[in-house]
Amino acid sequence: MKRKSLQQSISSITYVPHHLILFHPWQSPPGKPKIVRCHSPEKEMLACWWKPGSDGGLLTSYTLLYSKEGEGQTYECPDYTSAGPSSCYFNKKHINSWTTYIITVKAINEMGSSISEPHYVEAASIGKPEKKKSNKVVMLNFISFSPGQPPGKPELIKCRSPEKETFSCWWKPVSDGGLPTNYTLFYNNEGEESFYECPDYTTAGPNSCYFDKKHTSLWTIYNITIKATNEMGSNISEPHYVDVTYIVQPNPPVNLSLALNKHTDGKLYLLMNWSSPPLADVRSGWLTLEYELRLKPEEGEEWETIFVGQRTKYKVFSLIPGEKYIAQVRCKSDHGEWSKWSSESYIHLPKEFRLKDMMVWVFVAVLSSVICLIMIWMMGLKGINMVACILPPVPGPKIKGLDAHLLEAGKNEELLSALGCQGFPPTSDCEDLLVEFLEIDDSEDQQLMPNHEKGHPNKNLKSGNKETDSDSGRGSCDSPSLLLEKCKESRIPPAEFQTPDFSETQVKAAGKSSQETQNRDPELKLPDFNSDGVKSSTWPGTQLASSQIPKGSYHNIVEVCKVAFSAMNVNVSAIRMGNEEKHPSKYSKNIETICEGEMTQRRKGESFHSKAKADQALQWLLPNEKSPFLSDKPMDYVEIHKVNQNGALAVLPKQKENSDKTEIYPIPGTTKEYAKVTRVVDNNVLVLMPESRVQGMPVFQEPPKESAQSLHQSQAEKNMSYCLTAPSEFRLQTGGLEYMDPNSFMCSFK
Amino acid sequence: LICSCQRRACQVSLGDLFDRAVKLSHYIHSLSSEMFNEFDERYAQGRGFITKAINSCHTSSLTTPEDKEQAQQIHHEDLLNLVMGVLNSWNDPLLHLVSEVQTIKEAPDTILWKAVEIEEQNKRLLEGMEKIVGRLHPGGLGNELYSRWSGLPSLQLPDEDSRLFAFYNLLHCLRRDSHKIDNYLKLLKCRLIHDSNC
Repeated sequence: MKRKSLQQSISSITYVPHHLILFHPWQSPPGKPKIVRCHSPEKEMLACWWKPGSDGGLLTSYTLLYSKEGEGQTYECPDYTSAGPSSCYFNKKHINSWTTYIITVKAINEMGSSISEPHYVEAASIGKPEKKKSNKVVMLNFISFSPGQPPGKPELIKCRSPEKETFSCWWKPVSDGGLPTNYTLFYNNEGEESFYECPDYTTAGPNSCYFDKKHTSLWTIYNITIKATNEMGSNISEPHYVDVTYIVQPNPPVNLSLALNKHTDGKLYLLMNWSSPPLADVRSGWLTLEYELRLKPEEGEEWETIFVGQRTKYKVFSLIPGEKYIAQVRCKSDHGEWSKWSSESYIHLPKEFRLKDMMVWVFVAVLSSVICLIMIWMMGLKGINMVACILPPVPGPKIKGLDAHLLEAGKNEELLSALGCQGFPPTSDCEDLLVEFLEIDDSEDQQLMPNHEKGHPNKNLKSGNKETDSDSGRGSCDSPSLLLEKCKESRIPPAEFQTPDFSETQVKAAGKSSQETQNRDPELKLPDFNSDGVKSSTWPGTQLASSQIPKGSYHNIVEVCKVAFSAMNVNVSAIRMGNEEKHPSKYSKNIETICEGEMTQRRKGESFHSKAKADQALQWLLPNEKSPFLSDKPMDYVEIHKVNQNGALAVLPKQKENSDKTEIYPIPGTTKEYAKVTRVVDNNVLVLMPESRVQGMPVFQEPPKESAQSLHQSQAEKNMSYCLTAPSEFRLQTGGLEYMDPNSFMCSFK
Repeated sequence: LICSCQRRACQVSLGDLFDRAVKLSHYIHSLSSEMFNEFDERYAQGRGFITKAINSCHTSSLTTPEDKEQAQQIHHEDLLNLVMGVLNSWNDPLLHLVSEVQTIKEAPDTILWKAVEIEEQNKRLLEGMEKIVGRLHPGGLGNELYSRWSGLPSLQLPDEDSRLFAFYNLLHCLRRDSHKIDNYLKLLKCRLIHDSNC
């Protein structure tokens, strides 16, 4: 402590209590602190600040003490620092009950102490503690006040008249400093000077004033004030000017009833009825009310609001059947405010069962079922396979141009001619033929294969005849597609026709094959030129020749003739193990003559017999050329009628209709049409074996045109064997045989 | 109005006359109320005009019923008379209102338009009421009531504040009186036409 100047200390002497002069003349007990305020910064927190009094020149410490009203125990401030200097901070741990706390601050110094005036803190929640609420803890809020304060200023909330005959006013309560407060309402009527007090504080509830009819005047301004009074004083509110005329707000309408009625045209509508609020005098016309409705389905979100006017009933038409509706109504005085909405009324609309609708559905159902039944029955009758109809039929293997129906119908000619092939009867030997054919030398095989392939088309190819034999199929044992291919190949246009190359290869092949044939007894077939169907010949040369002959091409007739003949001759000579040069020339010469001769004679349409040979040859050579013997079909079978000395095969077109053939070459009985070349004898004789099983039938006979019969090789060989000799004896009579069986050749012809 | 041909000339029914009168009175009060509110919002805020506008209507000299009981007790003739008196008393003020309200600084168009409309409609209502009175009391009502209005100078005061208060007061009184008329006519209509069974 600093020693003050004597002056000071002398001056202070006068103020210091005498008992302290002894020690510190200028020191004194502390002045009375004052609690400035207590404030609740957050819920369930409290902070109090005090203002220190004089400190008496000594270091003064302050202690805040608090206690609960009604209890004696005193507690000290838990926290002097959080809220700043000269403060005390309470949290809910310390202040948490619903009582009033009394707070005091004590100032202590060496000289003494002094205590502030008590400060009251009331722990109150916001509003009333609602114990109805679930476990939610209601926070404490502190209203701090100091005792003995006059009340706050009251404030009028609103005044309302429900029927323009009475009215009520409500005010807001103010903090009353812990002391009971009285409220008084005073009003002054316009034109009167005196103030009156509220006639009724209770009817309208707490903090209200109710003016009954006697006290209500219209078209006058009320000057209303509220006075709050407590022990410490009173406070008066601001004046509030009220004209009852303009504060009319009726009660909601009552007795809202919903009923479903039927309109004259049969439609359902909702009839809504209600009554005006009971207090409102509408009858006399004192109050004029206008109404407003609102509707919505129970599940709906938006209300449909309808302004009704002054009527108390309304019809609603546009409702959804089956729905549950909620309705409310409210009203408004003509120049006043809208009332609250009335309580909800419900109505459940029945689902509309329209007989008409049901009838329609029933009718539709019956009709459709009848139609279905009829359809099923009809399909059953017709034997239509539904499955086949529904499921797409699995396409079978299809040869282009090959019509399965034709096959079934037995019209092989058409079928095969469509393929571009000449009809040929299928034989069971065809596989053998093929096999045999293929069994030739490897090296030759390669050579032969192409020939084979090329050769096969020969079988199929026929001049312009579409007649097919039911037996056709020979040479196409491997696959019908092969047939097709061959046919396709055979359809090569004339431009692609390459005669010279062809003949060379033919020579080669023929030469080779002839070697083979000697060893193995091949079955070479001479080309078949039956009038119908495609022939297949294993004679490469002939096959090739015929295959190369284009359909319907007359351009290279001579050339074709030559080629064919030469090819054939080549083959023949090959078989004989050697070509004599002069033969070809001879043959070619013959071919030429024949060809040329045929060209001229054909055109004249001569008799069959005279030009049978030529025709036959020509037929053979020109498979596509149309002739009177042949029907208009691209391919046809031709019978090898006989073989003339020149080595030409005399062929007859296989023509059922052609009786000439049968006349000329009557062959009783047998229906031999196919002949296989069973073997070659002496290198220049083809032994043909007709397919017919009939025994004892000379081959020379020309069997009627029948379907080919299977060939019994051995028997046929015996009975019907032909020797295909050298040019001198190139005689072959198959008499309707399409295939020539070499085995059937008999050297006896020589 | 639908004319129903009766004895002499084509006559509108009393009910229709009342309907029309009520419609007009309702309309006039709506306009007056809106006009007052607009003016109050724009010019009278914080000026405490309401405190001064006590007992300041020129028609207060006409004793009119102040609650339902009084209104129901008064004879319809008297009530009609009162209505006529009030309406007549407003003829002059309305005319001046129209001309003077235009002098208000930055008067909104809505106020101007409403003043004109009210003045016009009031004249029509007066005509209708005269017809009704003529129908009900062919000899006339007698003792015609009338309150003279002398508020014109106050509307022309140089002091803006005083002038505005004069307008405020006038509009305040107009609102009140138009409501009175509307209420009375509705009462009369229910009483006379619907036999107090509206």
